[in-house]
Amino acid sequence: MPTVVLMDASLSMTRPVSLEQCSEELQRKNLAVAGLTMLFEHMANNYRLEFTSLVAFSSLWELLVPFTRDYNTLQEALNNLEDYDKTCLESALHGVSNVVQQEWGHACPTQVVLVTDGSLGIGKGSLRHSLQTLKGRPEDKKFPLPFPFPAKLFVMCIANAEELQMTDTMHNLEQLLQLNGGDGQIFTMEGQLCLKSVQMFTQIMLIDLYPDFPAVLRCGNLASDVQVFPRPEPVFLDEEIDPMPRHILTDLEIVGFIEIGDISSPPVMSRHLVLPIAVNKEVDDVGPGTTEEPEEETSANQQAGKVPNFCVLLHGSLKVEGMVALVQLGPEWYGMLYSQADSKKKSNLMMSLFEPGPEPLPWLGKVSQLGPISDAAENPYGEDDSKSPFPLQPKIKRSYAQNVTVWIKASGLQTDVQKILRNARKLPEKTQTFYKELNRLRKAALAFGFWELLKGVAELLERECTLLPDTAHPDAAFQLSHAAKQLKLASTGDSQYAAFDQNINPMHTDFSGGGAGM
Amino acid sequence: MKMFSVSHKTAFVVDHCPYMAESCRQQVECDVLTKSRGQGMIPLAPVSKSLWTCAVECSMEYCRILYDVYPLKKLINYIVSDSEFHILNSWRQEDQSTHELMSALAAVGPPNPQEDPECCSVLHGLVAAVESLCKITEYQHEARTTLMDTADRVANRGRIICLTNAKSDTHVRMLEDCVQETILEQNKMAAGSDRLMPIQQCELVLVHIFPQGEDTLVSDRPKKEVSSLLTSEVHSVRAGRHLATKLNILVQQHFDLASTTITNIPMKEEQHANTSANYDVELLHHRDAHLEFFKSGDLHMAGSTSRDSGLKETVTLKWCTPRTNSVELHYCTGAYRISPTDVNSRPSSCLTNFLLNGRSVLLEQPRKSGSKVISHMLSSHGGEIFLHVLNSTRSTLEDPPSISEGCGGRVTDYRITDFGEFMRENRLTPVPESPDTEASGKPPAERAKAQLERYTRYWPMIISQTTIFNMQAVVPLANLIVKESLSEEDLLTCQKTVYNLVDMERKNDPLPISTVGSRGKGPKRDEQYRIMWNELETLVKTHVAGSERHQRVLDCIIACRSKPPEEEERKKRGRKREDKEDKAEKSINKDSEDKSWQESERLKGVVERVKEEQGESEVIKDSPDSPEPLNKKPRLEEIQLPEKAKGPVSLLTMWTNRITVANSRKHQEFAGRISSVNNKAELYQHLKDENGMDLHENGKATR
Repeated sequence: MPTVVLMDASLSMTRPVSLEQCSEELQRKNLAVAGLTMLFEHMANNYRLEFTSLVAFSSLWELLVPFTRDYNTLQEALNNLEDYDKTCLESALHGVSNVVQQEWGHACPTQVVLVTDGSLGIGKGSLRHSLQTLKGRPEDKKFPLPFPFPAKLFVMCIANAEELQMTDTMHNLEQLLQLNGGDGQIFTMEGQLCLKSVQMFTQIMLIDLYPDFPAVLRCGNLASDVQVFPRPEPVFLDEEIDPMPRHILTDLEIVGFIEIGDISSPPVMSRHLVLPIAVNKEVDDVGPGTTEEPEEETSANQQAGKVPNFCVLLHGSLKVEGMVALVQLGPEWYGMLYSQADSKKKSNLMMSLFEPGPEPLPWLGKVSQLGPISDAAENPYGEDDSKSPFPLQPKIKRSYAQNVTVWIKASGLQTDVQKILRNARKLPEKTQTFYKELNRLRKAALAFGFWELLKGVAELLERECTLLPDTAHPDAAFQLSHAAKQLKLASTGDSQYAAFDQNINPMHTDFSGGGAGM
Repeated sequence: MKMFSVSHKTAFVVDHCPYMAESCRQQVECDVLTKSRGQGMIPLAPVSKSLWTCAVECSMEYCRILYDVYPLKKLINYIVSDSEFHILNSWRQEDQSTHELMSALAAVGPPNPQEDPECCSVLHGLVAAVESLCKITEYQHEARTTLMDTADRVANRGRIICLTNAKSDTHVRMLEDCVQETILEQNKMAAGSDRLMPIQQCELVLVHIFPQGEDTLVSDRPKKEVSSLLTSEVHSVRAGRHLATKLNILVQQHFDLASTTITNIPMKEEQHANTSANYDVELLHHRDAHLEFFKSGDLHMAGSTSRDSGLKETVTLKWCTPRTNSVELHYCTGAYRISPTDVNSRPSSCLTNFLLNGRSVLLEQPRKSGSKVISHMLSSHGGEIFLHVLNSTRSTLEDPPSISEGCGGRVTDYRITDFGEFMRENRLTPVPESPDTEASGKPPAERAKAQLERYTRYWPMIISQTTIFNMQAVVPLANLIVKESLSEEDLLTCQKTVYNLVDMERKNDPLPISTVGSRGKGPKRDEQYRIMWNELETLVKTHVAGSERHQRVLDCIIACRSKPPEEEERKKRGRKREDKEDKAEKSINKDSEDKSWQESERLKGVVERVKEEQGESEVIKDSPDSPEPLNKKPRLEEIQLPEKAKGPVSLLTMWTNRITVANSRKHQEFAGRISSVNNKAELYQHLKDENGMDLHENGKATR
């Protein structure tokens, strides 16, 4: 996840550290820079995909380096850092909040590393003052914590714990962490403040900042060691019943495969690159004779590139076939693997996490109920791949898919009545539609207890009957008066005629044989 | 929203007393006369709805929206009250549909104005509603059963929406008190029952409906706490349009909904089919679809407007062309079911039908900066329409290294097509839940995994690691052997496959083994067959534990291939096709078995090395991520194969060969020597090569 380094550039950072073991004169700032240099080096070597930005603050704040993967730029900015006036953390945190939101929006988990000497200002603008005045602030002057995005807050204190506990700094910092939802940690230095202890303490911090996530991707007996980037964060579900955080398994097991068209842009919680890694597998089985080759000096990386890897195979086939692999992340938790193209040339194996639960996508149904096609009596995809068992249809159609009747607006009612009249004038050709519309109106009127409408429409139909031109088919008159009569009967509420599931059927007439018959 | 929040259970109580039969005094003209026809005709008197009709149709609209957006887990219990209560449905999921409710309402019919008003009251319904809220739903039951000892964490909350015509504020207070008392009573009873749960929180929403043109006798009152268990609010609303608006606002408040108006929808005019006008359609959905707007403060910029009562806000998003296709995977951070506010208006039904036909629409959001961004997508899945939220911020995953730069990225002969075939065979399908599948033990997803396990017991990832999977002749057996169980017919097919292979060997048919990356013949035929048989045995051996028939396939292979070497040699001698190299070998046929083994291993090494070299310079079209081909290097390695089975190779020869190979890398080789054998360039060798290639390509038919 992206990191913001929030560097204290106030004057107090230039305080010299007491020199017993260190020969040269050092400021706290130098120690901080040394620690951050280590951090940046570590990132450059191990996490080249991570974005980091550098913000310096005193009474003002400044974005020195926007989010970048270029650690040289960060290092350079750090080396050229100037000294300013007093510490004013609140406005700096506002700044961080803005910087992150502008870059990543509100859903991207971010970590903020506050680097300070522990003197957090005096009087107005100091952290103490900010925390004391938390309550009763107007909406536009709220304290920036908690951040509007998921954030971890780490405080890297160039001071030892005793020093901080003498004042209320430690307490204030803890309060700060709590304001952010408790996600984060305060790191203080052990013993003497010197370069060596800074190194120690940066080492410890790195483990917390960038924990590894070694995982294995499996498809039956085919497997590959992978690194999942960014590291998946634990997820909290319905906090009332199941407040435990859920972590994804390090064993990512493929359940089966689904066409892209069938999975159809599903909503996901997060996306992660799945990068194959070579773990402790010395590539010695490349084949005899290779060792004496001139490429003896090829780096381990290049060697690894030549060993067939399942991820590459999977990625290639997913891309060619336009499919995704459904992968199990934990109990009742699933995700999908697919080929994600960055550009025409570059593409990658990507994993998206669905929301935990037995049925993350309604159109797939319960994932545990997805089985191999060999379980089905006949291939649900058809012999020529012309069909698909997806998407699943809900048992009950949604209102917009079932021609419901709504008369809340007068126009709705008028349209429905006009539809009946239009068809009435085209009898007997439109007999089917006429009765279909008539029955739809009848059902709704009965349900809404709107008997007056039934009477009204019956009268309208009777009138239409009298207005029929001489050229009209004799059947039209019969059907109209039949329909009018049935509506009138229904409007009495008599259970014999007003049953909801009953329909008015067209009158049986037979003009070919002469007279009309019921 | 928590699973068992007050929204889990909603009890509708609709007053069915005689006064509800009164007209709402809003008239609807349903006889619209056209100019041409209406001459001299007396139009039909306008109709007007009763208070009951207004209450019922507005409550049904509330239910319609609710069921569209939450088809599951948000339940409604519909109760009608007159001289007694009538419960029209239950909490059960299958009772939750508007059709179900309409049918029950039709059976109730409108209130009877002749009934004695003294014995009619909405109180009967309110008491029934409280009793009903104590009843456990199937979801609560399920949660309690799974939680076992912490079952008390399952909450029981609910809401009562009462549509009535109250007499006064005092009357309202009386109703509240009655609900409060009933809750206390029922909670006592529920404490001692397994099928009931005490109510922890109840929201009473009283909607007083009065006819148009009358003054209200009941005053509006915002939500207040009656007790720790009960809150109550009163809405005093005119029947008709006002009531509909009120319930629409309430359903949004109660279920965290928000409104989006899709604007600029191009639609063909009914009258003039060749012109199109732009329409707007308002949709309701969960408000999380607007989360990004809320947080960024872009809400008002996004074209949000207040409408009607001023309580209702909608976000405007613009219809966007070009459309998107379904084979594209969008990065979607949420998908929410929608319900059109005006479901059967022409613009709404045009939009929904368009989507239900399987097309998707991208929606554009106007931003503060004036720039525009695609922020949402409307798409239907199985007859349900969803508003997808698309990620519109920068991704931390931008510019990742290509997979071809990582582990295994340099390998170019992955069996991409074969694995594609494998994926198709391992596609998933929904298996209906039935007692049968439970009886068979594993849930379907576990069976799918078990199938993957069987299919991958022996699955070489690259073409040059395998012979049998490059042979069309092996396909029938390879497809069958991975099955969980074999039929007698399957067994027969497998055996036939084996016999066919024996036949091929007898006929000395070439195998697609060594042609990859090397020129000429590669290992000798019998060696090729030995490798092939070994591989086939490896494949089948991984499945013998499956069933007795699997074992019989293996037995068949072992029986067919185990021929005494003498016989093989005799067979060979009888053949004329072998060239002089072969003769040389026969002179030492005593240890040929042994030797050929060594040789084959060595050759394999060579072959593999050659492949690796090629890996850098050649691209197999199957692998989409291979690096672009560099300038093709001459295939120097080919001269490594002059020794081609010429009897025992001396240490000196081996050493010389190796040195030659090393040297040859340092300079550009002569074209003639590249293709020479024993320093003699063979003429017309391309014919041979072509045969070799043909064979390879025919080895396995494309699917």
